[in-house]
Amino acid sequence: MSALIVAALALAALTGLLIVLTRDPKRQIFALAANGLALGALFFVLQAPDVALSEIAVNTAVTPLLFVAAMAAVAINEMRR
Amino acid sequence: MSIFPWLVPAWLFAIGIYGIVTSRHYVHLIGCLTVCQSATYVLLLSIGYAWGAGPPIFYDHPPSTPAVDPVMQALVLTDIVVGAAVTALLLVIAIQVHKRRGTLDPQRLRPLRPDQ
Amino acid sequence: MTAPWRLVLLAAALIVLVPSVWHVAAALPPFGHPSAQYGPAINAILPAARHVTNMVAAVNFDVRGFDTLGEECMLVCAVTGAVVLLRGARGERDEARAGHVPGRAVLARSDATVLVCRITATLTLLFGVYMALHGTVTPGGGFQGGVVAASSFMLLYLGEGYRAWRRIIRGRAMDALEGGGAFLFAVAAAVPLVIGRPALTNVLPFGQLKDLFSGGLMVVVNFCIFLSVTGSFGLLLLEFMEETRSPAEDSVPDEADR
Repeated sequence: MSALIVAALALAALTGLLIVLTRDPKRQIFALAANGLALGALFFVLQAPDVALSEIAVNTAVTPLLFVAAMAAVAINEMRR
Repeated sequence: MSIFPWLVPAWLFAIGIYGIVTSRHYVHLIGCLTVCQSATYVLLLSIGYAWGAGPPIFYDHPPSTPAVDPVMQALVLTDIVVGAAVTALLLVIAIQVHKRRGTLDPQRLRPLRPDQ
Repeated sequence: MTAPWRLVLLAAALIVLVPSVWHVAAALPPFGHPSAQYGPAINAILPAARHVTNMVAAVNFDVRGFDTLGEECMLVCAVTGAVVLLRGARGERDEARAGHVPGRAVLARSDATVLVCRITATLTLLFGVYMALHGTVTPGGGFQGGVVAASSFMLLYLGEGYRAWRRIIRGRAMDALEGGGAFLFAVAAAVPLVIGRPALTNVLPFGQLKDLFSGGLMVVVNFCIFLSVTGSFGLLLLEFMEETRSPAEDSVPDEADR
């Protein structure tokens, strides 16, 4: 049980680092989704199924979608200039 | 060993700040900001956790069984959803900055002057 | 400020913060032995007092319901701000054509994608509604259910193409869901005031433990939040997708809209 919590915490810390180190915003979107999944697993291990559901729905589905749409809008603006 | 769960949020917050400081793209910066946010979630849920306790949902087990702190979970739950809306607002501001100024690099943006 | 100076500032801040954070972390109660009394008290009292099984929902919608009203206002303000900024710069018209970045292939949508998206979008929407309705009983609730329901709109976009999607998901309907949900929440909070009780007092019958409609006023508040969150995220997705459209005079070939 303890090993599971330590592993989930370490995974959350690692995926958070990946978000920061991925400098290309288009690639960073995948790091964001991975971090959402890792945090969802951590919250599930910490006995918070409500929060895990919310985290997975928001940070692996909706937030990356908004980032994708924002990057597409930026790319289209770039093209129009 | 027992200090490790408290160091993970500190680490997440620190690397988030590092990413914000060194970022060369506003969309990347917003991604780093979500890392800072997630630090608070991890800290709050770690504070509420109790060894051997179940989730604070008494559907399958009777209400007298030990359960983790529901207040922390309620705090985090609402903040995740509201935080996503705030992230969307920041992304919109980034899109508008790009429309007006043609760049998303904080280093190349200069303060707006009245004559521009 | 140049990049080296920012790093110097960050290093100076870290020199101050790292020892203090370490000090605080060492002084916190050991992991797994919480010292707070509020949570255990809620776990002990509320199942019998409110006839609900999900304590997180009980805290959100009843015990700390007023905080949730504040969170709801923050959500509405953030979404309104985002929508006003986008519409203010773009105007309210819908653009007919998909924006296209030169050099990127435009692929036609296959029938398999359409079929899978129709099935999964329906199932995702149903799951979101299910999760929201059972919020007071099992893990879930208005916040999670609303986000899941809103993400089903994106699956619909993937399967149907932009035009059909805009015919199904109306901006006005999303506006009404978002504002209406928040308004109903405020009304539900104010109704106990009329009969001389504090705001958000649970005046409705509590119902049976483990029943779908247990929790009295919580069921109403939960559903209001579900409507509002669905509308908020639906509206955000709609406005962000609208931002990726090109003006109609653009001669780039459109994606295969059905």
